Amino acid sequence: MVAVLAGNHYDVLGIDPRATPEQVERAYRFCLEMYGDASVALYSLLDPEEQRRARSRVQEAYEVLRDPFRRHDYDVSQGFARPGAPMPSLPRPAAGPVPVRTPPPPPPPLPAPQVLEPPVDGAALRRFREGRGVSLKEIAARSKVGVRYLEYIEADRHALLPAAVYLRGFLQEYARATGLEPRRTAEAYMSRVKRVP
Amino acid sequence: MMEALPAVVPVSTARPRRQVWSVGGGKGGIGKSLITAAVGYQLARMGRKVVLVDADLGGANLHTCLGLSGPALTLGDFICRRADRIEDILVETGVPGLRLISGSADFLGAANIKYAQKVRVLNRIRALDVDIVLMDLGAGTSFNIIDFFLISDVGILTVVPEPTSIENGYRFIKSALYRRLRAAATNDAVRRIVDSALDPKNPLGIRSPLDLLTAVERESPESVKALKDQMASFRPRFVVNQVRDVSDVSIGHQLVTACSRHLGVKATYAGYVPFDDTVWRCVRQRRLFASAMPDCPSAQKVRELTRGLVQGESLALTW
Repeated sequence: MVAVLAGNHYDVLGIDPRATPEQVERAYRFCLEMYGDASVALYSLLDPEEQRRARSRVQEAYEVLRDPFRRHDYDVSQGFARPGAPMPSLPRPAAGPVPVRTPPPPPPPLPAPQVLEPPVDGAALRRFREGRGVSLKEIAARSKVGVRYLEYIEADRHALLPAAVYLRGFLQEYARATGLEPRRTAEAYMSRVKRVP
Repeated sequence: MMEALPAVVPVSTARPRRQVWSVGGGKGGIGKSLITAAVGYQLARMGRKVVLVDADLGGANLHTCLGLSGPALTLGDFICRRADRIEDILVETGVPGLRLISGSADFLGAANIKYAQKVRVLNRIRALDVDIVLMDLGAGTSFNIIDFFLISDVGILTVVPEPTSIENGYRFIKSALYRRLRAAATNDAVRRIVDSALDPKNPLGIRSPLDLLTAVERESPESVKALKDQMASFRPRFVVNQVRDVSDVSIGHQLVTACSRHLGVKATYAGYVPFDDTVWRCVRQRRLFASAMPDCPSAQKVRELTRGLVQGESLALTW
């Protein structure tokens, strides 16, 4: 019997327990390709049944780690987080060694945070951001929220956005970076996102 | 019965810079010889003194990859003592710093040379004024090939993104590792387990080195540590050749991940070489692509690959 994916959910996806949601996503896709039916790299190493079991193990790990609530409970159960510890606030630190960086120069003073008139949707956010001359890359660099997610926010692609607890954090970061009032901007945008948080 | 393989290989360590690299891969026609020739050429360009050795004793053609005709005396002549001195079989390639010891296509007696002879050959080659001895191993998983791979400081495993090649790659890894583990076995019980593991239908159900360790743990727990040490020092470096797209590049990372998870082998991903018509055209003209077309994508990737191998770096999987 070939050993099929022992260890905890992080081992199964091959990531660090501090991995960001985006890293979870990328590791999941890598494993899915690797253990897929069309996989070349595993040829002759695992039989189809072992491959199927590995795939379902990957899926099981992903289902837990993609959901901030389930992931938090899992982390507590595995000793990665203390019981009663607050839900990790966004952005999570990246996995691996943290590069030593010199602190960035202080940003120029911004005008008082603004509040947009409803409807606060992706298009409104983008218009405001472009008016301020801030690029998505700059927001991503400041907030550590991936450009892809910022694009989804502006495109109102709600299905691709992460769970509400993360999305709120993303929106507040977006708002801060562009000079909008974070709390009210996030609330206004999220009121338009039709799904259970 | 398997020929005994000494656990400690008696090789000269007079000059620490001197290294033996070998290029294996199990399957024929996947570009081992071309990669050997191109990496050797690049090493010489980087100022290293290189001796290429065509250890593909049944189907030697490294000379053809370099645009040379078959020399009069070959490695087979030295092994059979028809040539006394290693210098007699060494030929210049026309590239400064790059010399060749050719194999020979008709040397059938070499099919099973003794382990001691292999060590003698390697020691004589190492005694030359050389920085890196780069060996092109033939196809297959015979002891000749595997022993040269195991004796090497750097073992490069070539695959192409095709099931047949991947299958032979895994077979090569298992054969080489089991041979090394057998040499490290401290008693007959462990040797019997290792021997049975070579049979895919073995009654113990051993299908991977990890299963083998479990079986040894049951039978002879005191022997496991020696085997684990041998496994830890077995570090094949994958090169994926004839890469056509991004998902082919990813296969190298998948191989490394799969080896670690399912075989317990800590391989690395040394690099990849794209599929490139230029290489094929150069072969037809009997010219080495790395020197004839230094700007083609394959030549560029071979440069990156060679630099990585020299510096002991590999392609890392980052999320």
